[in-house]
Amino acid sequence: MRYVKLPKENTYTFLERLKEWGKLHAPVKISEKFYDFREIDDVRKVEFHYTRTIMPPKKFFFKPREKLFEFNIRKAEYRETIEDVEPFVIFGVHACDIFGLKILDTIYLDELPDKYYKVRREKGIIIGISCMPDEYCFCNLRETDFADDGFDLFLHELPDGWLVRVGTPTGHRIVDKNIKLFEEVTTEDICAFREFERKRSEAFKYHEDWSDLRYLLELEMEHPMWDEESEKCLACGICNTTCPTCRCYEVQDIVNLDGETGYRERRWDSCQFRSHGLVAGNHNFRPTKKARFMNRYLCKNAYNEKLGISYCVGCGRCTAFCPAGISFVRNLRVILGLEEKTCPSEITEEIPKRGFAYVQNLRGDGL
Amino acid sequence: MGEKIRIGFYALTSCYGCQLQFAMMDELLQLIPNVEVKCWYMLERDSSEVEPVDIAFIEGSVSTEEEVELVKKIRENAKTVVAVGACATQGGVQSWTDKPLEELWKTVYGDAKVKFQPKKAEPVENYIKVDYKIYGCPPEKRDFLYTLGTLLIGSWPEDIDYPVCLECRLNGNPCVLLEKGEPCLGPITRAGCDARCPAYGIACIGCRGAVGYDVAWFDSLARVFKEKGLTKEEILERMRMFNAHNPKLEEMVKRIFEGVKE
Ligand code: SF4
Ligand code: SF4
Ligand code: SF4
Ligand code: SF4
Ligand code: SF4
Repeated sequence: MRYVKLPKENTYTFLERLKEWGKLHAPVKISEKFYDFREIDDVRKVEFHYTRTIMPPKKFFFKPREKLFEFNIRKAEYRETIEDVEPFVIFGVHACDIFGLKILDTIYLDELPDKYYKVRREKGIIIGISCMPDEYCFCNLRETDFADDGFDLFLHELPDGWLVRVGTPTGHRIVDKNIKLFEEVTTEDICAFREFERKRSEAFKYHEDWSDLRYLLELEMEHPMWDEESEKCLACGICNTTCPTCRCYEVQDIVNLDGETGYRERRWDSCQFRSHGLVAGNHNFRPTKKARFMNRYLCKNAYNEKLGISYCVGCGRCTAFCPAGISFVRNLRVILGLEEKTCPSEITEEIPKRGFAYVQNLRGDGL
Repeated sequence: MGEKIRIGFYALTSCYGCQLQFAMMDELLQLIPNVEVKCWYMLERDSSEVEPVDIAFIEGSVSTEEEVELVKKIRENAKTVVAVGACATQGGVQSWTDKPLEELWKTVYGDAKVKFQPKKAEPVENYIKVDYKIYGCPPEKRDFLYTLGTLLIGSWPEDIDYPVCLECRLNGNPCVLLEKGEPCLGPITRAGCDARCPAYGIACIGCRGAVGYDVAWFDSLARVFKEKGLTKEEILERMRMFNAHNPKLEEMVKRIFEGVKE
C-alpha cells in the first residue's frame, strides 16, 4: 500500500481539488445534534469529527426513492430509466460505513447485479476518514473498525495533518495530480498514527467476544427480552432506514390518468412494517410486532459468508436514532448474558457445564 | 380502452378543500378520452347525485340526517366508493369532541333555525362500506392520481400501512422527537405527505390519521411522550385530534399510565 501525508494546512485546498473529480459530498451538521452527508459548496462546512450521519452513505448508491422504468400498458412496452451518473466524491466515510457498502456490494453486485446500484457504485469515489468512537459505537466487536479496502483514499488523523492510505488506482491518480499538496510520511507520523490507533481502540465502550451471538439469538427465542423490548418499539422503521446495511425495498406501479402509461418506483422498506411480511392471500409470515422486532435482530446478526462478518457493522445508528430509546447493543448483550445473568447460577447435573451457550468469560478463566 | 368509466365526486359537510385540490390538477385533462364525469359540482353544473357511477369519491363527514341518506344512495349507485380526506375517512376535526350535540349547536348557531337535521360528525365508513380511502387534510395530489390511475386500468390501489417516519428518513430530515423532544405523531401516522411538517422542523399532528391494521402503537408512543414529561391528558388530546374515532386509542394510552399517580 502507498502512504502519503497531507499536512493540515493543505486540507481545505485538497477538499477544493476533490471537486475536480466529481460533485463533492461530505458530512455537515444539519441540526443541533445531527449530521448528514450533503453536497459541499463551502469546504469549511465539512465536519471532520462528526459522530455518525443520520443517513448512511448507502443513500448515494441505493437511492431512498427511485424510478426503475416507465411502461405503456397498451403497447406492452417498458423502458428502464437508468440514470446517467456523473462521477461523485464522498469524503469522510468512517470504517464501519465502508464495510456497510462492502456488505451491500455482496448483495447488489456479486450475483445478479442491480443495474441502478452498479452505475452509481462505479462512479462514486470514496474517501475514508478516521474517527473516535462514542458511546454507541461497537464496530470493534464487529471487526469492522479498520477498513482494508473499499476506499480510494483513507485519511488517518495526525496532530499536524493526515496520514493517507491509498487504496485504488483512482486514489493514486488523485494523489499524483495533487502531489504538491502531499509530503512523505515521517517516523513521527508513524508514531502519531500508532498512538491514535491505540487511543481509539481503548475508547470503545465494550471489549468482549461476541462470536456466539448469532447462535444464542436463535437459541434464545423465548427470552423475556423480546417481549419487554418489542413492547416499547414504535415500529417506525428508523432502525432500518438509518442502517448502512439494510437493503430491503418496496416497489409500486403508478399509472397515469391516460390509463395507459406509468412508471415503477422503488423505495427503502423496513421489516418493522406490516406489509414487509405480507404475501398473497393476505398471509403474513411475521404477523406480530414482536416477530418483526426479532427479525431485525436475527437479520443484522446473520453471517455474511463472503466477508466473514455479520450484517451489522456496529455503527450505532439504530440505537442512537431510535426514538423509543431502545438500545440494540444492550439487548444483544442481554442475550449474550453480559448485562445480566441469563442462566441459572446453580447448574444442575442435566445441564452441560461447558458449551458455548453457557460461556460467560471463557478465554481460559478458571479452566 | 372500451367504455368510458363513470366517476362522481360528492361533497358532504366539509370545506371543499379536497375537491379544490383535485379540480385544479392539469392531469385531469388526460381523463377526457376515458372518463365520463357524472357528478362533480365544482367542475360541472349539470351534475346529478343520483346517477350510477363506477367510482364514487366522497369528501366530508356525515353530519346531517340528510347526508346519511345521501351516502346510502351513493353506495347503491356506485361500484367502488372512495372516501377522500380527513373528514370522510376519520370524521375530521369537527368530530373531535365529547360535548353533546345541543351544546355544540348553541355555541355555533345560537337559536337560528336551519332546514336540515344536524348530527355529530362521523366518518363515511360508519354508515356505508368504503372500498378505499385517500387520506389527509387536504389529501395529496399524488394519492389521488395513483388511486384513480390504478382503478382506471382495473387494478386495485395499495393502502398505505407505514408511518410518516419512513418518509422523514427517506428525505434525511433531522428527527424533532429525538432531537428536541417534540411530541411528533409521525411514528403512528399514515405516511403519504412526504413528512411535510418534520421537513420544516415541526412535529407531526397526525392529520393523515393513524396507520390502520392495528399497527399504530399509541401505547408505545405514549410511553415515549410520558418519559418526555407529557401528561395523559396532553397525550390524549394530541392523539385524538385526527383519531377521535379510533376505538383503540384511549385504552392503549391509558394502559401506559396504569398504576402511575398523576
Ligand atoms: S427505531 Fe426503535 S422504535 Fe423504531 S422500529 Fe426501530 S427499534 Fe422500534
Ligand atoms: S429484513 Fe429488515 S433488517 Fe434485514 S435488511 Fe431487510 S429491513 Fe434490514
Ligand atoms: S444494525 Fe444498527 S449498529 Fe448495526 S449496522 Fe445497522 S444501524 Fe449500525
Ligand atoms: S421527526 Fe417525527 S416523523 Fe420524523 S422521524 Fe422523527 S418521529 Fe418520525
Ligand atoms: S407530517 Fe403529519 S401533520 Fe404534517 S402533513 Fe404529514 S400527516 Fe399531516
